[in-house]
Amino acid sequence: MSDPRVGSGLQEDVGIPRFDDRERAVEVAPAKEPTTPAEWAHANLFSSWANGIVTIVAASALGFFIYQLVKFVFVGAEWAVVEANLKGFAVGPFPLDETWRVWVSAYLVAVLGGLSAGASRNRITWTKTKTATGSLLAVAGAVIVVLLVDTLLVLALGFGLAATAGLMLVAGRALRERLRRPLIVAWLLSFPLVMVIVVGFGGVSPRLWGGFFFNIVAATFGIFVSFPIGILLALGRRSSLPALRTFSVVFIEIFRGVPLVAWLIFSKFVVGLLLPPQMSEPPDIIKAFIVMTFFSAAYVAEIVRGGLQGVHEGQYEAARALGLSTTRMMAFVVLPQALRSTIPAMISHFISLYKDTALFVAIQVTDLLEAARRSAVGLEFFGRIKETLLFAGLLFWIVAFSMSRWSQRLEVRLGVGER
Amino acid sequence: MAQAVPTQQRPPLWRDVRVLRLVAQVAFVAVVAIVLRELFLNADFNLSRRGRDLSFDFLRTRAGFGIKEHIISYTSNQSLLRAFLVAATNSMFVAGVGIVLTTVLGIFIGIARLSTNWLVRKMAQAYVEVFRNTPLLVQVIFWYSGVILTIPRIQDSVSLFGVVFVSNRGAALPGIEGGADFSVWLLFALAGIVAAAVVRRYRTRVHDETGRPHYRFLFGTGAFFLVAVTAYLLLGDPFAIQAPEQGVRNYIGGTQISPEFVGIIIALVLYTAAFIGEIVRGSILAVSKGQKEAAEALGLRPGQQLRLVVLPQAMRIAIPPINNQYLNLWKNTSLGFAIFFPELINVTGTIVTQGGAELQVFSMVVLTYLGISLLISLVMNIVNRAVALRGAKL
Repeated sequence: MSDPRVGSGLQEDVGIPRFDDRERAVEVAPAKEPTTPAEWAHANLFSSWANGIVTIVAASALGFFIYQLVKFVFVGAEWAVVEANLKGFAVGPFPLDETWRVWVSAYLVAVLGGLSAGASRNRITWTKTKTATGSLLAVAGAVIVVLLVDTLLVLALGFGLAATAGLMLVAGRALRERLRRPLIVAWLLSFPLVMVIVVGFGGVSPRLWGGFFFNIVAATFGIFVSFPIGILLALGRRSSLPALRTFSVVFIEIFRGVPLVAWLIFSKFVVGLLLPPQMSEPPDIIKAFIVMTFFSAAYVAEIVRGGLQGVHEGQYEAARALGLSTTRMMAFVVLPQALRSTIPAMISHFISLYKDTALFVAIQVTDLLEAARRSAVGLEFFGRIKETLLFAGLLFWIVAFSMSRWSQRLEVRLGVGER
Repeated sequence: MAQAVPTQQRPPLWRDVRVLRLVAQVAFVAVVAIVLRELFLNADFNLSRRGRDLSFDFLRTRAGFGIKEHIISYTSNQSLLRAFLVAATNSMFVAGVGIVLTTVLGIFIGIARLSTNWLVRKMAQAYVEVFRNTPLLVQVIFWYSGVILTIPRIQDSVSLFGVVFVSNRGAALPGIEGGADFSVWLLFALAGIVAAAVVRRYRTRVHDETGRPHYRFLFGTGAFFLVAVTAYLLLGDPFAIQAPEQGVRNYIGGTQISPEFVGIIIALVLYTAAFIGEIVRGSILAVSKGQKEAAEALGLRPGQQLRLVVLPQAMRIAIPPINNQYLNLWKNTSLGFAIFFPELINVTGTIVTQGGAELQVFSMVVLTYLGISLLISLVMNIVNRAVALRGAKL
């Protein structure tokens, strides 16, 4: 290391390392990283003639697109349509007097989310660029919220939500390890609790759910309920009993092979016909929830089946050797390992289920998408659908994108495919 | 050793695994059968209460509603079965066009994701993240209501050399007006394609044997045009190319594409291409680095390395997941219902609201979706077998 030639590049030596008896040059300096902007641009954008042309074409296309977008966002668009329909975007036809139920649920999720993020082993390392982008995005988000929300109470509640999450993040960081188990239990209990808060004590029936609230609740409900059914179906598909196997395969393939829209639309007509005549007809949205659960269970089953296939044969044999019954073997040896490896796939299934909740417009639910569509129908804002759809799309996108990023980082940490 | 294990003695019935397995299955089948029977009885009772049945006779009644777009001929006087078939073919047509376009775009995106050009790489990444993480239905409605319906009205159509028109009524392209001998000419054109294939093969052999340049593309297209043009001249104008004209409310003549079709195709293609791009990218990365280095060492240019060495091997890995994307695209054609494109869901919705028979129509919808899914999987399996490594197990 003391030799000045080593590490200073090989320009003088023209690439031939000199060998000395006392000290062998085992280290070869790496190719110098481009540092100045000009060097960087040469290496990454203009390395050849063809590359230069591609860069120029791509840059002009991008420039044109950004110009059009900026022009639309700051000049052409009339964002008052979003401002006026904000409640519709958030909760749809949910009665205004009852919105406190949604706020309580949101605070509950913020507390849990903050604590989990703080206690997570999977924390983001804040580099300079990340801090800069993060704070920029936070400021931009705050500005947008301030511009769009005109009720002081809602504004206060909204910022209170962010502040709670932040506070809990700090608290979670302090408590760390002690929180892990209670948090898992709390998350599992949170969904039924939210349901009680929203529906219970003279609450709001699902018929009046809507907006972004609906999309999130429907997706969570779908995963929550379809998970156990999916596991049973997956076990059935791998069972050694032919009758069980056939049933599971037929069930899974039929539900996966037909689009969710078809299931939702026909649930309206068909589920009612199949129920006993003495039962009163449930509302369309309940029928749709039932069908969506089966649909999701078929996908969960396939994911779990993948996980089960990844469990080593030796694990089964070891469990058998210990004298465990089939049920115990599955519950204590096989499933814990199988489910752990399916977490990333489950998250991506959750993301696609969440995106699919937009399909509930087919049965006249005023979800976020339908709220966006309806806002642009009234006389006042006729034809302002680009604004409302962009806003709705952005909301959908933020949640889906952050979840997919989270899942990618989780995948790295869990070392899927490496164990 | 001497002590014999009493193997002959079988365990009591309630502990005999073979008996238990059988009993469990019989019980399971019985439960499923009872539930199914109950559901069937319920449906039967509920239907008879409403004065309906489970027969498929309704399919023969007159449809009575119009369908704006159809590939096979249709009038509102034809049967409901015909209407169903029209809807099914419309769905299949969208899926077919969509699959071709999205494959091309997806491969392009996948390659762009790995470009050495920083800007191209980042743009492709942004594309994937934006389109993949937004609900497809939002995109369908955005392209249709937000973009296509807001472009110029027909009176101010954008035209390209007066032959191609685009407006919110859709697009109109030059179409082919076939005469009496058109089908004969099509046969000749087919013969031309065969001739081109033969010539191409011949040129490849010449190249392999003598090392002279093959020019097989030039020779092949030459052979095709020779046959096609000769046939055209011999048959005496079997077809004419007709440019569309701009009418007051719609286009006249030419090939017309409806805004609904454009909307669903754009949305499906852009959305699925984001997923296929990621698959292609992953597959290219999975091809071992040595392959590219070997290609480089052989003196192939970057384009050739990709086309001749890397992509063929990447495709081998990519085909099963791409098959899944094709199946998704096929099922997602159902989102055309939201913009009133007459596909399966839209038309069957009309059939059901008009004449009931929900269970029958629904079973037909299920069978159609399952059947075409199976067909796509079959075709992709054949493709997969064609490109898979022979003799070696991966």
